[in-house]
Amino acid sequence: MAMTMTIERVMAFMGLDVLVARDEGLFEAEGLDLRIALLPSDEVRSAAEGTPAKPATNQGKLQARGEAEMFQA
Amino acid sequence: MIVCGALVVAPTSTVYAPQELARKLVALDYGNGTAYAGLQMLEGAMPREAITTCAAATSPAERFAGLMRGDFEATVLQEPWITVAEKAGCRLVSTTFFHGTWIAAPGVSAEAYAALLRALTRAVRRIKADKRRYVSYFIRDWSGHSEVTALSPDDFNLGRIQLKEPAPIPENEARWAWEWMASWGLLEGAFDATAQINRSLEREAHELAAAVRVG
Repeated sequence: MAMTMTIERVMAFMGLDVLVARDEGLFEAEGLDLRIALLPSDEVRSAAEGTPAKPATNQGKLQARGEAEMFQA
Repeated sequence: MIVCGALVVAPTSTVYAPQELARKLVALDYGNGTAYAGLQMLEGAMPREAITTCAAATSPAERFAGLMRGDFEATVLQEPWITVAEKAGCRLVSTTFFHGTWIAAPGVSAEAYAALLRALTRAVRRIKADKRRYVSYFIRDWSGHSEVTALSPDDFNLGRIQLKEPAPIPENEARWAWEWMASWGLLEGAFDATAQINRSLEREAHELAAAVRVG
């Protein structure tokens, strides 16, 4: 049975390896059903809302509520 | 994955070197790695009290647009917006590279983590063997943006696209990052390696990944 893992969304600038591995079946070849979860658009906050000491970040939100197991910081 | 961040100024700017950004407004996407890279580039060129920043959008498209409008003197960009900015005549006054770091929930199994590591290692090797073939991914991310879709793979500086096979985070690097962030008031307390890094899981996953030859 395939293992499953959900990660938070990545983009090429910080996750090109993930995207290529997904598209070329490399996770599947390892028996890993890798799912990429997106934060609902109404929950996405712009960094412009933050301050240096209290930044408004979207990273880790899905993991914090158990909807993703990994994210890239 | 290694991320390239660049401090960029508009074509009409009188700034050519990072120290010339002292007391000038630099837009940073606080809370993201690019913002911290930007802050580190500034810190390397001037005393902290001369660093002047404002909050900018997470989207590099919006930061680039703000730069071109003259909303601020400089901003930090990542690919493909560094390439877009260069094509528009902007200047890079500093560039740096930083690691993307995977943060795992406590329940991740060593087997699944090892499978992830093996797949990523294969992907890194494929991309490094032919980076030009894969730069289309940077364009694909921004399919609704004409500045990006106008790029061709030949426009990209492949030196800015760097990948490294996944490896355990060295404790000293984790400590330096923690202490640097704490010095800016972003984290509180002393670095505790045992609280931040699950070395047992990390070691098991990397050993499992290494046990299978990755071609």
